[in-house]
Amino acid sequence: MAKVVKTQVEFEGRMLEQAALLQGPQPPHWPQEASLEVVGTSALRIDGFERVTGRARYSCDVHPPGMLCGRILRSPFPHARIVSIDASRAELLPGVRALLTSTNAPAIRWKDGKLILDSLLSFEGDEVAAVAADDAETADDALSLINVQYEELPFVLDPEEALQLDAPKVHPSGNLMGGKPRVYDRGDIKRGLSEAEVTLEESFHTQTALHNALETHGSVTQWIGKELTIWDSTQGIFAIRSEVAEILGIPLNQVRVIAEYVGGGFGAKQETGKYTVLAALLSRMTGRPVQILLSRWEENLSTGCRHPTTQRVKLGAKRDGTLTAIDLHCVVPVGSYGYAGSVDGPARGLYQCPNVHTGLYAVRTNEGPARAFRAPGYAEGSFALECAMDLMAEKLGMDPLELRLKNYADKDPMTGHDYSSNKLREAYQLAAEKIGWSSRNPRAGQTAQNAPLTTRKRGLGMASQLWGGGGGPPANAVVKLNPDGSADVITGVQDIGTGTRTGLAQVAAEALGLPLSAIRVTAGDTRDAPFGPTSGGSQTLSSAGPAVRSAAMDAQEQLLDVASQLTKLPRERLEVRDGFVYDGRSPGQRKSVAELLGAFDNLMIVGVGSRGPNPVGYSLRTFGAQFAEVEVDVETGRVRVLKLVAVHDCGRVVNPMLVRGQLLGGITQGIGYALTEERAMDRQTGRVLNPDLEEYLIPTVLDIPEIDANVLNQVDPHTNNLGAKGIGEPPIIPTAPAIANAVYNATGVPFTSIPLAIHQVIRKRSVP
Amino acid sequence: MRAFEHLNATSVEEALAAIGEDWQTRLVAGGTDLVPLMKKDVIAPSRLVNLKTASELANVDFSDEAGLTVGALATLDDVGRYPPVRRHYRVLAEAISVAASPQLRNMATLAGNLCQTSRCWYFRNIFFCWLKGGEKCYAADGENRIHAIFGGGPCYSAHPSDPAPALVALGAELTLYDGKGGSRSMPVESFYALPADDRRRETILRPNELVARIRVATPPQEARGVYLKAMARGVWAFPLASVAVQGVWDGPMAREISIVLGGVAPIPWRAKQAENVVRGQPVDGGVARRAGEAAVAGAQPLRDNGYKMELVRTLVERALVSAAAPQARHHPVA
Repeated sequence: MAKVVKTQVEFEGRMLEQAALLQGPQPPHWPQEASLEVVGTSALRIDGFERVTGRARYSCDVHPPGMLCGRILRSPFPHARIVSIDASRAELLPGVRALLTSTNAPAIRWKDGKLILDSLLSFEGDEVAAVAADDAETADDALSLINVQYEELPFVLDPEEALQLDAPKVHPSGNLMGGKPRVYDRGDIKRGLSEAEVTLEESFHTQTALHNALETHGSVTQWIGKELTIWDSTQGIFAIRSEVAEILGIPLNQVRVIAEYVGGGFGAKQETGKYTVLAALLSRMTGRPVQILLSRWEENLSTGCRHPTTQRVKLGAKRDGTLTAIDLHCVVPVGSYGYAGSVDGPARGLYQCPNVHTGLYAVRTNEGPARAFRAPGYAEGSFALECAMDLMAEKLGMDPLELRLKNYADKDPMTGHDYSSNKLREAYQLAAEKIGWSSRNPRAGQTAQNAPLTTRKRGLGMASQLWGGGGGPPANAVVKLNPDGSADVITGVQDIGTGTRTGLAQVAAEALGLPLSAIRVTAGDTRDAPFGPTSGGSQTLSSAGPAVRSAAMDAQEQLLDVASQLTKLPRERLEVRDGFVYDGRSPGQRKSVAELLGAFDNLMIVGVGSRGPNPVGYSLRTFGAQFAEVEVDVETGRVRVLKLVAVHDCGRVVNPMLVRGQLLGGITQGIGYALTEERAMDRQTGRVLNPDLEEYLIPTVLDIPEIDANVLNQVDPHTNNLGAKGIGEPPIIPTAPAIANAVYNATGVPFTSIPLAIHQVIRKRSVP
Repeated sequence: MRAFEHLNATSVEEALAAIGEDWQTRLVAGGTDLVPLMKKDVIAPSRLVNLKTASELANVDFSDEAGLTVGALATLDDVGRYPPVRRHYRVLAEAISVAASPQLRNMATLAGNLCQTSRCWYFRNIFFCWLKGGEKCYAADGENRIHAIFGGGPCYSAHPSDPAPALVALGAELTLYDGKGGSRSMPVESFYALPADDRRRETILRPNELVARIRVATPPQEARGVYLKAMARGVWAFPLASVAVQGVWDGPMAREISIVLGGVAPIPWRAKQAENVVRGQPVDGGVARRAGEAAVAGAQPLRDNGYKMELVRTLVERALVSAAAPQARHHPVA
């Protein structure tokens, strides 16, 4: 019988109350000592062949017959009103099939009370019109023939200015989101600061970063009768399905969202883009499929960014290093239609400190929207907090690692709950050993190898990582066991490049007792799949994995029923391993699953499963530490990372090679965040200057050092039936502060803003 | 990208006949600069004439008598890996080795690299800036950390080519063919000219001309040069600042010296005052440092690019020390 339970689920720093429907069995946890044969191995990706041979079909590879090319005209101004729009010349261009502007588009409500094509534009790149034509060049020519008269409006980019009373309003309700800051208090911050024997106050700044996933955003849409199919480059097929159904006012079962392969998302592809809905509308107008595939340029203007932050951190401590106060004041410009990440998360939760106050001001500005970006908020917040900790350690004359251990949180400081598991101490210890932390010279800028005359200074630095990733319901799965012993695992998740399909196949193979080669995983299609969660919050495996195990267990129990009845052996004696059913009493006796089920024509066992609730009274978190060694050329300003050691705790590791991929990818992105990546904005016109990969510099292979990537692989005994937690986002969190702290150690100059680009390093060095 | 006509030229003659007196028809070889400009709608030519199908200019040759000859279709990779270039023109080989990325060097031609236009992020955007025929340079009082500290105004672009400063330092010459059967030759140095009101371009190339070949005389036995570049990441970035040093050496004494900067002016920028400090002197740390100082004399940094003065000082000093010492270990990325 289906059962409804309530449970707490954390998503990117926010706690949500979630009702879960339990279907299928809830398997017991696999303990640390469980002897697993498929889970825990570095199995090759089950879709690796398709990926490397180009057979994998991404959304942009889908070309239904008769497909038109859609293009979007975007606002060249950060704030403007459309006075008039004349598309008549564009409509006459041969090959133009449909055109949408604010004058003829349906009155679809978008965010902030605006229409999908509104006459009020609030950032450079805001959508003005859309066209569908026979080919891309015709569509581009058509856009250039649309005559728009804009009334330019005063705009605001700086969040402090945006908070002034006379600032241009990005939104009628005001520029401060929610009308007030998001505040958190624990203990008494005033008392904490007054009790402190040593205090530190410093401001930190982090930059705007752009996602730049390998595959840009885009959709292909097709109506067949009343049914809409969307091939979308998305992190959440079910999120897109429900949003589009609501926007267009059609039933859920008439929207099918397909994302068979996705070239990355990093957080920007969790919600429906205007391009998707515009493509659907153009399709409906023309009766033909329409593709809108955004260029890198358009994507970097309109589909999201990591917001910048200004953070003022005050720390108070006793002389022995015991923290008495953490005070964080942060101002976060979120652009138009954007939102703020949990910048305050690390300050609240990383250290055992009795008095904490955080205030977060999310401020609307006339820029493109801020969206989730790999550990949204935590990457920014950890930079400020972890650099402040090193400055405090210097003031106290304490080793930075000692200071962290002194304030180690054995329980979740926010709730007082035990952690479901926490191996941060082990992570610190292993990473410190591997980098040779004991050889670090405690006096910043004075390390032994830094002879006075050399311009190249070396240093070591470290930082900690805290994040969620425990996952939770809802997530469902169906397992179909075929008469030849093969199985289909049907899930509603999508593999955005992380290896989700492979990880889920390993769980299914293990739980069914079949070889991995017998498993096929369906992902990325809403039509026939049960619900699967969005690939965000590092929760795909920890949410969907337990559901797959539940469904596999359901199928295996049915198989055992069948086997028992056919073999006349008691069910308890039977077990399934590696595609065979064994008699536990006489291990030599076995029958293959195919042989057993082959006795029936077209027998299919269908198992149904779901993700159970999260444990009550536990805090589900992931942890880690990264240590960096850097070399800084103080004359040329070049910072080189020589080595980076990462040790993370994500519970049980289902596939070490895939986890390693997440670590290497996250750290690489973190190095870009620390050293080279920065969206440049022209403050006079409100236009982005580098929305492409020519001057927005992501790291190259030559910028990446030796990365010693490790996970502790200690099973979390409480979190879910796999004992596994997420690892998608954690690796990017500590990279930038570890590097900045190493640069501080190398040079003796505290760097309080990123990126540590050449121009910044030289400038900072010249200002004493 | 807008629709355009495409013509495969079967000979240089045919290509030249097809290009006109305005910039509506463009020649394309590697396309690594042209195509991105078209994709960004900075230029929208109505016709492209493909030079790659006219194979007669693909040569890279060297002889002691004639020196080095590079045809219009020779790629950066063809030139950079050509053994005589590595032997006799180290400054050029080094400059090419740190230009762009291996994939781009396989496509991009040396001639096209010399003709590439500004990488200014206002120019390559929707701004109707002075270089495009507009009224103002947005970088002058805008976001100008990547811009020029020398020779700026009205345009503050920073010259992006790595090989160009090396070729200027080597005294290279190039030959242009035009559509009327004519040709003209000039030093690479004079191919570049600060953009002016009546010529909003960084070169003197006319719309009906093509760069047919580049010639570099064989350097004397005692000649030696190095290239040194500062960029924002380990590879595949335009220079924040760079220096090409080419000298004729008598032991550590520079009998002749060329010091040419990249990434700091709208065109390759000759550091004449630094050359004067070095010429005829035995180069030691002190002379090199003074030359670095002299190299930034007259610089006019904008709000955000003062750090380039520091870079130029350091690069010139380090490059001179390396060039003066034949056995010195040298890596062209600072």
